[in-house]
Amino acid sequence: MSKSLPSTVLIDVKDLEAGYGKGKHRTQALKGISFQVRSGECVGFIGANGAGKSTTLKILMGFRFPDAGEVTVFGCPAGEPESRARIGYLPEVALYYPFMKAGELLALYGGLGGLSKSELKDLIPDILKKVGLAGKENELLKSFSKGMQQRLGIAQSLITEPELLIYDELSSGLDPLGRHDLRELLNDLKKQGCTIFFSSHELGEVESLCDRVIMIHQGHLLRDAPLNDLLEECGDRSLETFYIQTLRQEAKAGE
Amino acid sequence: MKVSSIFLVARTVWLEAVRRRDIYAIVMIACLLFAVVMSLDFFQLEGLNKFYREFALKFMSTATAITVIVLSARQLPREFETRTIYPLMARPLSRFEFLLGKLLGVWFTSLFCFALFMVVFLFGMLYLRADLQWGIFLQYLYLQALMMGILAALGFVLSLLCNIDAAIAFASLLFFLGSTMASMVNMIYTLSTPAIKWILIVLTWLTPQLFLFDLSEKTVHSDIWSPIPASVIGSLSLYALLFISVYFSITLLLFRRKAL
Repeated sequence: MSKSLPSTVLIDVKDLEAGYGKGKHRTQALKGISFQVRSGECVGFIGANGAGKSTTLKILMGFRFPDAGEVTVFGCPAGEPESRARIGYLPEVALYYPFMKAGELLALYGGLGGLSKSELKDLIPDILKKVGLAGKENELLKSFSKGMQQRLGIAQSLITEPELLIYDELSSGLDPLGRHDLRELLNDLKKQGCTIFFSSHELGEVESLCDRVIMIHQGHLLRDAPLNDLLEECGDRSLETFYIQTLRQEAKAGE
Repeated sequence: MKVSSIFLVARTVWLEAVRRRDIYAIVMIACLLFAVVMSLDFFQLEGLNKFYREFALKFMSTATAITVIVLSARQLPREFETRTIYPLMARPLSRFEFLLGKLLGVWFTSLFCFALFMVVFLFGMLYLRADLQWGIFLQYLYLQALMMGILAALGFVLSLLCNIDAAIAFASLLFFLGSTMASMVNMIYTLSTPAIKWILIVLTWLTPQLFLFDLSEKTVHSDIWSPIPASVIGSLSLYALLFISVYFSITLLLFRRKAL
C-alpha cells in the first residue's frame, strides 16, 4: 500500500444533503452532514438502519449524486475516475459474475484499475491467499458460498493496492473465523499506512479497529470523535453502551 | 477514454454469452432444422437449394436478432438487479466507457453468434453442392451486421426507458413488423391530411427501417439479382451509424446521472 502524505484530507464532506423519491414521496436521507477522513486514519461509520450510511458511501463513490453540499475524495469531486483509481470499495451486498472464475474476476477489476497482465499473474494468487481463498482462482463463482463471495469482495477491493479503503458493512456474511482473519488483515493494512473508512453494525469490530468513530442518525451527524473519548463518555464500558445510550437520548429528545 | 477498459467490459459480455450456452442451444436448433430441410426430397434439386437458402437465411437473421435484442435489453437491468455494477463502477471507469463496452460486447457477441450460423449454413450449401453469389452474399452479411448494431443500441435505450420484458417486446415488434408497418404507412400516407402526413414522416424517420438491411430474398434469388451499388451500401452504413449514435447518446444521457 502506498502511503499518502501525513494528515492529508482524503475525504471531505461538507453540508451533504441527499434524498430518495420525488415530490410528496421524497425522503431526506442526509440532512447536511459534514466530516473529514485524513490519511492513515481508520474511521468507523455507525448508525441505525436507514441512518444514511450507505447513501453517504455511495455518494463518495459517485454512485449517487448529492442534492446539496460538497464532497471531495483525494481533492477531486466524488466519483471522478481519478479518485476511484485510488480507492478499494466493498459494497454492502454484492454478487459477482457467476459465469466467471475467481481469477478472471480479479483480472477484470485489476485490469480496469490499470494493472498489466504480468502484474496480475503474480498478484492474483497472493491476494486470494491473503483472504483465505488460496488455489480457488480457477473455480467458477457460481459455486462460491456467501462467505466466499464476501472474501472475494475483499480481495477485489485490495487488488490495486489502494490508498483508501471504503467498506460498506465490513464483515457482512463472514463467519467468526472470517471476521477474525479480516480484522487481522485490516490491522496489517493500517500499520502499512492505508486509510480505512467503513460502516458496520458490529460495534465490537469498530472498537477493535478504529481510531475515530462517526455516528449518524436519521441523516444528522450525531458524533464525530476519537474512540477513546466516546468510551470515556459512557464510563469506559463499550462502544455498544455508548451507541445505545446515545440513541435513547435522541429518542427522548425527539418525544 | 481508455480503450483497454472498454475492451474488458466488452469481453465480460462475450464471456457471459459463451458460458451461459444460450448461443450454442440456438445453433444446435439451427443445425437440426437445416438437416431436416436438407432431407426433404419432394423438391427438385434446384428447388431444394433455393428453399434451403431462403429458410436458412431467414432463420439465421431472426435467431440472431432475437439473441441481440435479449442480450442488449438485459445488460443494464441485470447489472442493477444483481448489484454487480458496484464493484465494476468502483474502478476508474467512466459511465461512457462502461456503456460503450457493453454495447460493443453485445454487438461482437451477436456477430460471433451469426458467424456460427454461417458456418452451419455454408456446410449445408457444400452438402447440397449449391452455388452462391458471393458478392450479394457478403453484402447480406455486412448489412445484417449493421442491423445488429442498431438492434443492440435500441435494446439498451429501451431497457433504461422501461423494463426488460417491455424492451424485448418493443424491439422484437419493430424487427418483426417493421416492413408491414412501413407498407401500412405508405398506404395511409396517400390518403392522409397534411398534418397526419407530417406525423407519418416523423415516425418513419424516428424508427429504424430494419427491413432495408435484409438482403435475404436477393441472396436466395441471386441468379436474377446482382449486388446492390456501393452508394446504396454507403448510405445504409451512414443510416445505421446515425441510429446507433442517436440511441447510444440517449442511453448515455439517461445513464449519466442515474443513481445506482
